[in-house]
Amino acid sequence: MIEFKNVSKVYPNGTRGLNNVDLRVDDGEFVVVVGLSGAGKSTFLRSINRLHEITEGEILINGESITKAGGSELYRIRRDIGMIFQNFNLVRRSSVMRNVLSGRVGYHSTLRMIFGLFPKEDKELAMRALERVNMPEKAYMRADELSGGQQQRVSIARALAQEATQILADEPVASLDPMTTKQVMDDLARINKELNMTMIVNLHFIDVARKYATRIIGLKEGEVVFDGPVEEATDDVFSEIYGRPVNEDELMGEA
Amino acid sequence: MKQHGKTFIYTRRIIVVAAVLLVYIWAFAGLPLLELKETSGEIVSAIFSGLFQPDWGYVYDPGGEDLLRGLLDTLAIALLGTFIASVLCIPFSFMASKNIAKTKTMVGSSKFVLSFIRVFPDIVLALLFIKAVGPGAFAGVLALGIGAVGMLGKLISESVEGIDLSAREALIATGGNPVKTFMFAIVPQVLPNFFSFVLYRFEVNLRAATILGVIGAGGIGTPLIFALSVRDWGRVGIILLGIIVMVTLIDAISGKIRARLV
Ligand SMILES: Nc1ncnc2c1ncn2[C@@H]1O[C@H](COP(=O)(O)OP(=O)(O)OP(=O)(O)O)[C@@H](O)[C@H]1O
Ligand SMILES: [Mg+2]
Repeated sequence: MIEFKNVSKVYPNGTRGLNNVDLRVDDGEFVVVVGLSGAGKSTFLRSINRLHEITEGEILINGESITKAGGSELYRIRRDIGMIFQNFNLVRRSSVMRNVLSGRVGYHSTLRMIFGLFPKEDKELAMRALERVNMPEKAYMRADELSGGQQQRVSIARALAQEATQILADEPVASLDPMTTKQVMDDLARINKELNMTMIVNLHFIDVARKYATRIIGLKEGEVVFDGPVEEATDDVFSEIYGRPVNEDELMGEA
Repeated sequence: MKQHGKTFIYTRRIIVVAAVLLVYIWAFAGLPLLELKETSGEIVSAIFSGLFQPDWGYVYDPGGEDLLRGLLDTLAIALLGTFIASVLCIPFSFMASKNIAKTKTMVGSSKFVLSFIRVFPDIVLALLFIKAVGPGAFAGVLALGIGAVGMLGKLISESVEGIDLSAREALIATGGNPVKTFMFAIVPQVLPNFFSFVLYRFEVNLRAATILGVIGAGGIGTPLIFALSVRDWGRVGIILLGIIVMVTLIDAISGKIRARLV
């Protein structure tokens, strides 16, 4: 469960990234965040695990304040939140296995991690995570030998190995073609259903958002202008979020 | 316009050529006239006969100083010096990288330290350390250990500046502390280059270590300078042969390893 309590974020240069956001995301929801470029979607997502600091309000993860947490407490809370990036953010030179295992660093002592010693159970867990995204046979390849879609699924496996309860995904399919978009989104949907992991996903394409979301949050200039079940997010709602009628290029078409 | 550009290029070329010629003329004008002493010919032929009739007996001598021991000392000085440098250069490499260091002052001062060290030739550093810790292999080790930091730090920090930091964000998000994040997101990207530069520097240090003995900083250079001063050309010959074989061998091995690294 993720709770935003009157959260605002002002960037050092004065830009308002988030303005008085107050909402709650329950376990198992599949939330899609939409909005124009610059609306504050990334800011919203990155505030949750404190990759960005908020300037006002408080964010609670499973009842605990991540805003007030410091040091090892912060690391422990982050461990419960997996993150998926537009550009995958893998260590490209390392093997797929090692990338997936890197989701486990929060569970072990620093000394152990300096030597990269993962217990056998972690390796089995990482292998199962790779099986879940249908890539067990790629475990010992280098990450940069994989296609974009495959790399994104490795990063999903990393979040799975992390045994997170929530997954944040910032435009996870923006650099993928329609075919791989479907695979990656299907993976996320399956994980959401089978493991009851909460998903909060920033998406650009409205039709993809409608297909996978259970709930839509619309952002505009840092404010929540729509928040409701996907059934209520009509074309009119989208034109309001975007401040104009829906464009062709906001539809992926094939997915 | 085009015509204009061409004339400009030609004028510039002429100026450059003229400047280079002037420098050469100036340099050669300063040379004292070469004069051949009567003995010069004799010495040259003695050197060559020594080189072609090396003193094989010196290679291994169970009792005293011999070639193998000298070469081994040299190798040890180079190894230890390179090892010390490879450890010392690590903090500087990261502090001198714009993408890792927190402040510009840190980058600037680290870069300054690195280029300051690079200014000193190994021989000068060795002379300084001989004054500080006395003559012997230890002075040589220190000279190479400190001297190599300048070059290694510069090369490695340049390679650190070229790495992709996106994985660091991912590791922070998984709950990694700064050390874990560093080990997983940064180190794998730098390690191959790091080893390659260190090996290369080892090759350089090995050559330097053969010279260091000449000024009393340990290694094969010491017997070489003694043999030279007593005109024992056979011994000079065997020592030079030994150095050539060792350096070639190490270069070949190290080059093979480096080729596999990157
Ligand atoms: N580091 C920063 N410093 C200052 N302003 C920033 C910074 N990052 C983002 N902003 C501003 O905050 C606002 C929200 O940005 P954000 O990246 O959250 O938008 P977004 O909805 O993710 O956009 P996009 O769809 O282009 O990714 C924008 O006006 C942006 O210019
Ligand atoms: Mg964004």
